[in-house]
Amino acid sequence: MTMTRSRSALAVTAVLALTRAGGRATAAPPEIVHVRASAAFAECLAPALDAFTRTTGIAASLTIAEPDPVEDADLLVGDDLEMTRVLEGGVADVSTAIDLGQVPWVTVVPADGPADLASASASGPIAVLGGHAGREARESLGSIAPDRIALSPDAAALRRAARALVPRSLAGAGERRPSHLRALVATAAIVSGSPRAGDARRLLAFLGSEDGRRALGGCLDPIPTAAASTVSAQAATAYAQAVVDWWLPQCTLAHNRYNDPEEVLGPPDAVNLGGNVFQGFMSLGQGGYVTVDMGATFTDATGPDVRVYQSVSGAGEPVTLYAASSASGPFTMVGLRVPCGTRTPGLFSNHCDFDLAAGGVATARYLKVEDGEIYPCLHGGTDSEGTDIDAVELLHQ
Amino acid sequence: MTLTACGSNPGPTPSPSPSPTPQPGGSLTGAYTLQITPSAACAMSRTPQSFPMAAAAAGVSPHPGVQVLLDPNGFLLEMEVLSDVVTIRGGLGTTEAGALSDQNQRMWVHAMGTGPVQHASDGRGEVISGLFAGYVALAAADGAEGQLGTCSAADHAFTLRPR
Repeated sequence: MTMTRSRSALAVTAVLALTRAGGRATAAPPEIVHVRASAAFAECLAPALDAFTRTTGIAASLTIAEPDPVEDADLLVGDDLEMTRVLEGGVADVSTAIDLGQVPWVTVVPADGPADLASASASGPIAVLGGHAGREARESLGSIAPDRIALSPDAAALRRAARALVPRSLAGAGERRPSHLRALVATAAIVSGSPRAGDARRLLAFLGSEDGRRALGGCLDPIPTAAASTVSAQAATAYAQAVVDWWLPQCTLAHNRYNDPEEVLGPPDAVNLGGNVFQGFMSLGQGGYVTVDMGATFTDATGPDVRVYQSVSGAGEPVTLYAASSASGPFTMVGLRVPCGTRTPGLFSNHCDFDLAAGGVATARYLKVEDGEIYPCLHGGTDSEGTDIDAVELLHQ
Repeated sequence: MTLTACGSNPGPTPSPSPSPTPQPGGSLTGAYTLQITPSAACAMSRTPQSFPMAAAAAGVSPHPGVQVLLDPNGFLLEMEVLSDVVTIRGGLGTTEAGALSDQNQRMWVHAMGTGPVQHASDGRGEVISGLFAGYVALAAADGAEGQLGTCSAADHAFTLRPR
């Protein structure tokens, strides 16, 4: 095994070359499956790739870097925030995407110091994972002066830190406390047009197999399935009944393919028809929205009240939700740019939940669902830009 | 305006001429300066960040829209808004590269903005009291996203004034 490290402003890259088992001489150099994974998952993947090579004789290399750009990779592994654009843009084949597991965030503090990173009595720098995967963590520390926060994509630097907010896989010594942050989900997908697609598929199948999961198991947690789908048992009236207003920027209308607001009505039904062709949702583009009539006034109840189903990719396409009693408003914000990547067993779409109480709303009938990704339309490069809305459901109907 | 020396009799003080009340409306078109001030709730510099922009009408259905782009390199900072003549509402977004401000800082934004449009002195529309809700991150010109702070808030301020 050889290891090479190179440094750049955004990523530390390490390459492990795992040679063919047995070391038999061959006429042609062995093909190597190139895996590109972000720092939070690389440590988890290394033993699994080793096991794959031992089992199949196919060599694999691991580059530790954000999945985008893919460079020479055949297989990508990244969190929703890193994979959104490569999956939606067709750079990676979304029909091959599987979730390998998740890594929770932890706060690392000295055993004898304050447990709260923001505590006035805490001092010294706080190491936080840099790059896209660390965005939500950085947002959560928005009340702490930036000069106390040390961003780094480097696993070794993060592990050395006395105080840190990091994925568990990058936590060093010190006391670890659970964080409320969304766990990073390790999604793997094959790069479209990969010259080693056959071997990449074998690797992906291995990672998804029992042997693969076992090799990953000590590092990646299973993805919770608490939100088991009850869609088939729900009355159709639990879902949005009619579109009362919508808007997409002209740029979005010109570039996006999924512009029909009627697609958000009824139960979730989005599907991947193959490759990067889909059906059953409305893409909201840059800052677009759709306002729906839920058919009757509903009341805030205990826990989440509304579920929005969002397709194609996960938390990288957040949703902003507003509620009103009248179709013409006024609309009250219930959730701002809420990550919408909770997996929904049995469905292509992911989802996110909203509690009317979060906006101080007691009753409502109309819901305005707004794009929260807000990515420049002119730079988008996909035909499903923005949050992709499949359905809107009342959870206490 | 007449400056009066200390101790002299100023005589009757003339009433200041009332400043004209800004008239609502006006079309957003041509060259503008977008200025963003992070929310007071953010633990980051609140120095306003300015960007040269160009605005143009963009579509009429289902509602009239306006596209406001960084000038040049519009794809790096793009604002797409719905315009009902007296207010605008829509999204401001940057790419992974962020956008370099006139203050030589790099800013990343993913936020929804709204604000009243009123006639500027040249007759075009302008926004002088807009608010953005969403994500803002700052860095030095060559720094990583969030190096100088990251913040989500519902009250980042913005102006869009003719230049």
